Parts: sequence; structure tokens; C-alpha cells
Amino acid sequence: MTTDVDVLIIGAGASGAAFAWSMADTRMRILCLEQGDWMNPADYPSTRRDWEVRMEREYSPNPNARRRPEDYPINDADSPISIVNFNGVGGSTILYAAHFPRPHPSDFRVRTLDGVADDWPIDYATLEPYYALNDRMMGVAGLAGDPAYPAHEPPLPPIPLGRGAETIARGFNALGWHWWPSDTAIATRDYEGRAACVNLGPCKSGCAQGAKASTDITYWPLARRAGVQLRTRCRVREILVDDNDMATGVVYYDEQGVKRVQRAEVVVLACNGVGTPRLLLNSKSPRFPEGLANRSGLVGKNLMLHPWGVVRGTFDQPLDSQLGPMSCSILSQQFYETDRSRGFVRGYNMQVIRGFGPVATARMGVARGDIPWGEGHHEAFARRFGRSMTIGICCEDLPEESNAVTLDPKFADANGVPAPKISYRISENSERMLRHGLARGTEVMQAAGAWDIYSDGPVRQTGWHLLGTARMGEDPERSVVNAWGRSHDVKNLFIIDGSVFVTSAGVNPTPTIQAVALYVADQMKHRLANLFD
Amino acid sequence: MTSQRSDNADPAQAFSAAQRARLDLVLDLIVPPSADGRMPGAAEVGVPAYLLAEAADALPELLQELEQLERRALERFARGFAQLGRGERQTLIAELRAQAPSFMSRLAMETLACYYQHERVLAGLGREARPPYPKGYQVAQGDLSLLDPVRARGRIYRDAP
Repeated sequence: MTTDVDVLIIGAGASGAAFAWSMADTRMRILCLEQGDWMNPADYPSTRRDWEVRMEREYSPNPNARRRPEDYPINDADSPISIVNFNGVGGSTILYAAHFPRPHPSDFRVRTLDGVADDWPIDYATLEPYYALNDRMMGVAGLAGDPAYPAHEPPLPPIPLGRGAETIARGFNALGWHWWPSDTAIATRDYEGRAACVNLGPCKSGCAQGAKASTDITYWPLARRAGVQLRTRCRVREILVDDNDMATGVVYYDEQGVKRVQRAEVVVLACNGVGTPRLLLNSKSPRFPEGLANRSGLVGKNLMLHPWGVVRGTFDQPLDSQLGPMSCSILSQQFYETDRSRGFVRGYNMQVIRGFGPVATARMGVARGDIPWGEGHHEAFARRFGRSMTIGICCEDLPEESNAVTLDPKFADANGVPAPKISYRISENSERMLRHGLARGTEVMQAAGAWDIYSDGPVRQTGWHLLGTARMGEDPERSVVNAWGRSHDVKNLFIIDGSVFVTSAGVNPTPTIQAVALYVADQMKHRLANLFD
Repeated sequence: MTSQRSDNADPAQAFSAAQRARLDLVLDLIVPPSADGRMPGAAEVGVPAYLLAEAADALPELLQELEQLERRALERFARGFAQLGRGERQTLIAELRAQAPSFMSRLAMETLACYYQHERVLAGLGREARPPYPKGYQVAQGDLSLLDPVRARGRIYRDAP
């Protein structure tokens, strides 16, 4: 038995870190258990010349390929999109691209505006102060004045467009379509002790410069200085509950694999949209035979993933497109809001992404037959390297109960904890949206002057955005947590990660995940006197 | 494809001289030296050691396919693979690509990974042979006046009740 704490957070990623920092000013005893370890930026691939190979091995975003001791397997054979993540202090912010777009106000009112899914119980205006706070804490770069959004002012200037994004921007302009420099959580100037971005490139394998805002270098140092404890290499097996339906703590394995119990007054789940339902479903008890906090039967249901497509264009002129932060350089919201004449509801954004390093350029070219073996190899490579750009099509995914996280009957992690199983289909609406996006992306590439264009989607290894599996709502029959993240069934259990999303919007979710975590923390602080009523 | 890493990477022990010669000829068919001499061929950049270090699990099949190539060369042309002309070698390799597409694709992918991170290749591409960190790269900021027409068209988001 270990010393009791007031607040126990499970998971040290995007939401857990923001929440821990916010709660630190209560001076409560706060402990975070994280199954992974601290990262050493000196080990990141960009510190080595073979960075492209290291990116796809030790730093692969796919836990089934990466197979670090702290990873748990994910059975995603029954899904056209595989699940990607990272386990460690910082969670998936270690490997994310740091693309940081906000959703639109309409994203919180999809039932009211478009007659589909459900409205969120909170709205954009409620979260706006937390978006702004989080932008400052993470250090977000961008350009104020985007006509696709309510006014907001990123604290840092935007990342460079480079010749590649500038070329694509001209294509958008030729079509009369919206585009704007993306908000990205990358320090474009020295910021709060972090060095400015020097355009290393492979942001998605960890930032050795420390310019990219992963929460191990943003929130966590401040939270720990304020007294929050962070215990690494501790994997939670299950959450314990008493006869009054109150959580009493957790059972976890420490770094030696010894099973321990940690008691807590409040338990907070921050394990992402797959890890959180996995833990709840693994926490069965006589009072919760279908899994903890699951009297609605919705834990694990309504998984949303953002089906993703790509349009690649190659240009005659050298663009140095392999250089610069690989995160989205510019973003188009032209087809974001619902227009039913397009044949689908809701919408997508187009994210303009840079080119690839030499290894990836050669491999993709050879795999597609664009770059031959033998004669002509060097000439074909030279026509593509540094001259290609990608438009990513990020589609809003609507919730469907049949898309679900369950427990796999066969696979388990190194401690024997049952692994998650993903059952997921892309809906007809999302398929139509994706086809529309691929066609529009092709038009942009044509307008920008690309001589070779191909499109593909859905792309398999793109399941970064894990959302909706413990949704929030006012009705305990139709949701898992209330409007401020508290479980309907277990009144001292809170969920603060992407699981609580009611709908997915059509943008990268990290700013919203963190805004929700900060909002829930504030709600808890305001309600301390009657938190469990 | 899941690769296995190994630190036990001595090509002299893993390949016989004949196997090594055959492998070099195969590599040369994947990426030959450039005609202007600027780019080396794949046989010149240490692919065998790379394969041992990064794809050790593929070694048994690689050795098997190299022996198969030799047998086919003898059957088809009554000469060993190393004694064939480039066109004859290409014919045999094309057959092997059709019969063992997965393995040959993997060999090509591993070869390209080794090749395109080698200092001679990077120099040939006009790039510094160094990791991205700590120096980084210069990237043009870009012309933000291109946003003028986007601004002029005005707001495109909906109000939400």
C-alpha cells in the first residue's frame, strides 16, 4: 500500500499534463501514474543521420510495430484505419505533428445545425478562454485574422511557408478558395525557456530542439515544480470501487512489475480514446459487471478516428519541400462547414504538408513504379526529391455505436492486462466526404501546376485522433460523463481525454482535448465543496 | 514488414565471397552508379553490413535467393550469375521479382534506406551528410501578401446558437 493521494491522474500525455498543472494550485496531493518513461531528446532520430529509418522503427507511431516495453498491443485488424499513439511522459504529443487548429463554433452544435449526431453540452464560447490559455502554455504559432474562425491571436508568429506551401497557396488562390497559415504548437521564437524552431524537419519523431510543444517540456516541469508527483513506468491494471459506487484507487504494476494499490479520493482518466475505455472495461466488479462507469453501455462505443486521404503533387521547379516542420504548413477550411449539395453532411479540412526526405522519396517512388530500378533511377529520383507536396484530407467522423473499443480475448500487454480490440468501419457519409476531398485536393494541385498527381485514401496508418468512447452529455442513458467530465455512475471518477468528445469536428483534436482538460480542472476547483453531490 | 536489428554485423562472416559478389551485382541492378559518376551505385555504400544490422531476419531468405539465382543462371545460360552480361542478369532478376515479390520488394526498400542516407549519396545530391539536429535548415518564410484575396472574401464560418 502506498500513501493516499487526493487526486490520482492516469496518463501523462496531452490532457493529463494540462490538468495536473491546473490543479496544482489547489495544493492537494496530486499523483500521476504513467506507464511510459521520460524521453531523452538526445535520442530522437533527428540527432542521427539515419533519422528516416529510426522514425519508422523505435519511433514508429504504431505501437504494434514499435513494441517498446511500455506499449500495449492494439488489435486493429478489424479496422481499415490502424491506431497510432505513444506511451511516455508527454504521451502522443511526443510524436504528434503539433498541428493545432481549433474547431469551429458549429462543431459543438451538429444536431441543432445539421440534424445529425448530438450537440455537445458545452460550446465554443465556454472553451474559448481555455483554448487561449492552452495556446499560451503550449506556445502556439500562427497568424491572427483567419476568416474561418472567430478572432484569436496565437502568441507566436507562424512557421515558415517555404516555397512548397507558397506554391500550393497560389493554387488555392487561383480557385478562389480559403487557405491560411496553420496554427502549430511550435516555438517560432525562443519561448518560455524553449529554443526556437530551426526547421529540423522530423517533428513526428520527437523534437530534439525542444521547439515543438510536447507536454513533457511544457506543462510537466511547471506542474512538478508546483508539487505534482509523476511516477513513471507504472501501468494501471484496474480502478477499484467500493459499495457506494465510489472509486477508491487503482491497482497498478510498478517498474519492477510488482502489483501495488494506490488509494485516492478522486481518480482522473487521461489515457486517450482507446486507453481510457480499455481501462474502464478492464475494471469489472460486481457493481459494474460490464465495466466501470458503464451503466449506459456506451464505454468504448462511438469511436471516431478522422478518416484521412492524401493528394500528392510533384512540380517541375525545386521547392526544397523536404525542409521545414513537417506539420501542416497551411490549412484550407473551404469545405469545412456543411453544404448538403456536396452529397454529405459536415466537412473536412485540407492540410498542406511538406515533402519527404531522400529515403522516403525513393521508397515511395519505387513502390509506386515512378522511380525505376536500374537505368533511369537517378533521373527519376531527381525529378521528385524536394519537388513534391502533399494535401492531407482530414474528414470529420460522426459517432456510430458499432465503431467500438472492446477487450481482445487473446492479446495482453507485458503485465497480462487484456489489450484493446478495435472494430471500426468508415461510414458512407465519411466515404463521400473523403472522395470529395480527394477530388478537390487534385484540383488544387492542378491549379498549382503539379505535373504528376496521385491521390489515396483512406490511408491506413492514420488513427491518431482517438475520440468519443466515453462521451459527455447531460443524459446518463446517452453519455458516460457529464458536461464537466464527471462519470454519471461514479461520482469521484473524471475523464478528461478525447474519449469525452461528443462529435469529432474535422480538425486535429489536441487543442480541444487540452482545453477540455483545463475546463474540467476549473470546474472541479469551483465545485470542491460539493464535488461528489 | 517488421525489421530486426542486430549489432552482430560482420558481412565477411555472413556472406561467402561468391554470395557477396552476387549480392553486389543484384544491388547494382537496383541502383547503378550514375553515368556522370556523381552518384555511387548501391553496391558501393555498405548495404550488406546495413542488412545485417537492420534486417537480420531477412538474411536466411536472402542467402537462399542468391543461391537460387546462381542455379537459374547455370540452367538458363550455362554460366554463373557473375559471369552473365547485364541484360541476362536483368532477365533473371525480373523473374525473381515476379516470383518472390515480397522478398525482392523488401530487399529494394532496405537497399534504398541504406543508400539514401550514405554520405557519398547525400554529397551527390548536394546535401550535407549530417543529422538535422543541431544545425537545422533555412526555410523561406513565404509571401503572406498572398492572403489578401482570402481576407477580402471575408468570414466563412457559421454562427452556432
